[in-house]
Amino acid sequence: MKIAVVGTGYVGLVTGSCLSDVGMDVTCVDVDVKKIANLNKGVLPIYEPGLEDIVERNTKAGRLKFTSSLDQAVKGAEAAFIAVGTPPGEDGSADLRYVLAVAKEIGEKMTDYLVVITKSTVPVGTADKVRRELQAALQARGSKLTFDVASNPEFLKEGAAIEDFQKPDRIVCGVESERAQDVLARLYKPFTLNGHPVYFMDVKSAEMTKYAANAMLATKISFMNDIANLCELLGADVNQVRKGIGSDPRIGNRFIYPGIGYGGSCFPKDVKALVRTGHEYGYELRILQSVEAVNESQKHVLFNKVKAHFGDLKGRHFAMWGLSFKPETNDMREAPALVICEQLKAAGATVTAYDPVAMPECKHMIGDQIAYAPDAYAALTGADALLLVTEWREFRVPDWDRIRAALKQPVVFDGRNIYSGPELREMGFTYSGIGVK
Amino acid sequence: MKIAILGSGYVGLVVGTCFADTGNRTTCVDVDEAKINRLRRGEVPIYEPGLEELIQRNVAEGRLFFTTDLAATIRGAQVVFIAVGTPGDEDGSADLTHVLSVAETIGANMNDHKVVVLKSTVPVGTNHKVRDRIAAHTKQSFDVVSNPEFLKEGAAIDDFTKPDRVVVGCESAHARKVMEELYAPFLRTGKPLLVMDPASAEMTKYAANAMLATRISFMNEMARICEAVGADVNQVRKGIGTDVRIGFPFLFAGVGYGGSCFPKDVRALVSLAKEHGYTPHIVPAVEKVNEEQKRLLYQKVKQHFGDLAGRHFAVWGLAFKPKTDDMREAPSVALIEALLAAGATVTAFDPEANREAQRLLGDRVRFADNALAACDGADALVLVTEWSAFRHLDLDEIKARLKQRVLFDGRNIWDGERVRSQGFTYYGIGVR
Repeated sequence: MKIAVVGTGYVGLVTGSCLSDVGMDVTCVDVDVKKIANLNKGVLPIYEPGLEDIVERNTKAGRLKFTSSLDQAVKGAEAAFIAVGTPPGEDGSADLRYVLAVAKEIGEKMTDYLVVITKSTVPVGTADKVRRELQAALQARGSKLTFDVASNPEFLKEGAAIEDFQKPDRIVCGVESERAQDVLARLYKPFTLNGHPVYFMDVKSAEMTKYAANAMLATKISFMNDIANLCELLGADVNQVRKGIGSDPRIGNRFIYPGIGYGGSCFPKDVKALVRTGHEYGYELRILQSVEAVNESQKHVLFNKVKAHFGDLKGRHFAMWGLSFKPETNDMREAPALVICEQLKAAGATVTAYDPVAMPECKHMIGDQIAYAPDAYAALTGADALLLVTEWREFRVPDWDRIRAALKQPVVFDGRNIYSGPELREMGFTYSGIGVK
Repeated sequence: MKIAILGSGYVGLVVGTCFADTGNRTTCVDVDEAKINRLRRGEVPIYEPGLEELIQRNVAEGRLFFTTDLAATIRGAQVVFIAVGTPGDEDGSADLTHVLSVAETIGANMNDHKVVVLKSTVPVGTNHKVRDRIAAHTKQSFDVVSNPEFLKEGAAIDDFTKPDRVVVGCESAHARKVMEELYAPFLRTGKPLLVMDPASAEMTKYAANAMLATRISFMNEMARICEAVGADVNQVRKGIGTDVRIGFPFLFAGVGYGGSCFPKDVRALVSLAKEHGYTPHIVPAVEKVNEEQKRLLYQKVKQHFGDLAGRHFAVWGLAFKPKTDDMREAPSVALIEALLAAGATVTAFDPEANREAQRLLGDRVRFADNALAACDGADALVLVTEWSAFRHLDLDEIKARLKQRVLFDGRNIWDGERVRSQGFTYYGIGVR
């Protein structure tokens, strides 16, 4: 089976390399000549556990190729994935420029019947637009070639993407013809031998599924943050409440951890995009709007606690553990850390931060607004308090004696509820979590 | 153990009966003498599968008693469950009058150490209020435990005897031991008894119902956007339900939630938050979506027919959900009221709730003896509650009885494609 993957970002690379790993003949295309040159040398533009091995193995075996020529990639291919970026525009809507440009070029270059599959997260209705671009391009060159469009949203988690691709909870395929369904069924058969289902549905429902899934996950987080804030006022402990409701199988114990808000490249973007789609159709998505409102205010909760404890923050100095929006990634997009740093700086305080992998990325984004420490404990020296922002594993069981010795005051603000308040208080710390006692 | 159950409503009866069934000597008290007399004769005032025979058996075997004598029952018990009603006030907050007055009676009859268990759904902080009320009337030591119920109407016996978890909010080792002993027979499969502080236990009940309501309203919102963009919410449901972080339960789009718990608890949570100076965001949105959702079926009917004056409609299902006769906050009421106000007439059928609906709606609605009879001469059939008996449609029969082949499916239980192929016009909720 010959496959073309257009776009060698995070999603494109994982998709292309995993498909080649089960024996398919995959060509990845990117307009970025330098990126392609690097990939051909085995240099990957992103960090993702396990990816480098797979790329190397399949490149060697001749099943995985990188090129900047779309021509070469779609020639004789049965399926072409569009996996280019869809950066959000000012108004929160996804920018489809790249997706549609690729569609046009595929129409110009394709040589046989082809299933064109959108893998990028795109608004409902995008497949229709892709189809129109292809049709126009084929018409322009007087071609009678046929094609199908399909939607096949990715459900990859950064840091676990290979596993997510190879052992998916499910594969969602939006198709409009049996022929396209057959192509996608053959394509994914190697990944469904364990019984993971492939859901074939109409294209719009498939496009919607991606947004609905992320929206539901964001809803669970904001719901728990709302409850956590309330618990704090009522003298209840949200950790207990979490256990109490999580044991209800209709709720489940996943994704109900309160904290200081979600970030990253998916939830904020997808929630905003869906709210916008609603507006386009004259419908107010009340729940999602409230989900976003809670998340925005939740990013301020840790700062508010610091402020409430210290009063004037002018001249105060704080240690921050964790910068990335979640552990196991260097992604800083919409990270709560950015908001907290900004607020502390505006209040006249200084910050020294440590993150196992995200410091270069953070420096890239906010430069020297904060200082960076070579290790977790070095960040503590002379700080008025420790702020735990990202729950990296290495922060979970720290040496509290060392922390107390390094801090100017034994004060801990735990934005992810990974420490035990009673235990820390027993050791003489002032502790403050999110909705916990 | 000797147990007193104060309040013989839905919760009190289920709890009392199930504790009697594991060998405890249980006495259920209610101020309503007629109710108690009926219960003594083995007549159960509510419909709940399996409850009646369980009551009769335990009464016959001398473990389950019914009385109106509150004081004597309290004095004779080691554990006293408070299971009286907490109706929602005008502003949505729970009315604690019954709970607190019962607490005073308990205090006045505290002849030895007792464990007092709050089973009613009560706002966070009630545990302490109850403790204060009791303490005002006695010098005797006692414990107050918060032990919220998680019973689903229609499956309450199963829920009580095979719980997913038991939540116990208590602050004393003695009370904890008593609760562990009482619940041990129901936790033999290893499901947990979670002990926490009372405030957290009280909050757990509200948070659980609020989360479930959130899932429903979320999906209803998705259904509407699906309808707008031309997607199918049933497909989307499958697509997201398979994500283990989301899961399948409670993702069905429909005409909104009703009943005695979700609406009341959601409102109580909002009012509780406001009392403490917090403005919650999610839960009010959940409620708002639900209110709108209850009007959706009517809007679809209106949109299809235009002027509804003189139209006649068949309504299947009245209870707020299947397997109960509970009509509280049922979406069927919103639909029927709107249809009647627009000048239409309604013939309704519900396998269990006809009587209860008649009490609420009176003679303004006709009630049919069976589902098919309700369809006679109607301009459309509107399904509101997804009783299993409604799931398979005898399309030929319905065709013969309806004046027009139009179906409104408020629960997405019918296959649009199939009924359309039989010449019906079909409307679901966010489905194609």
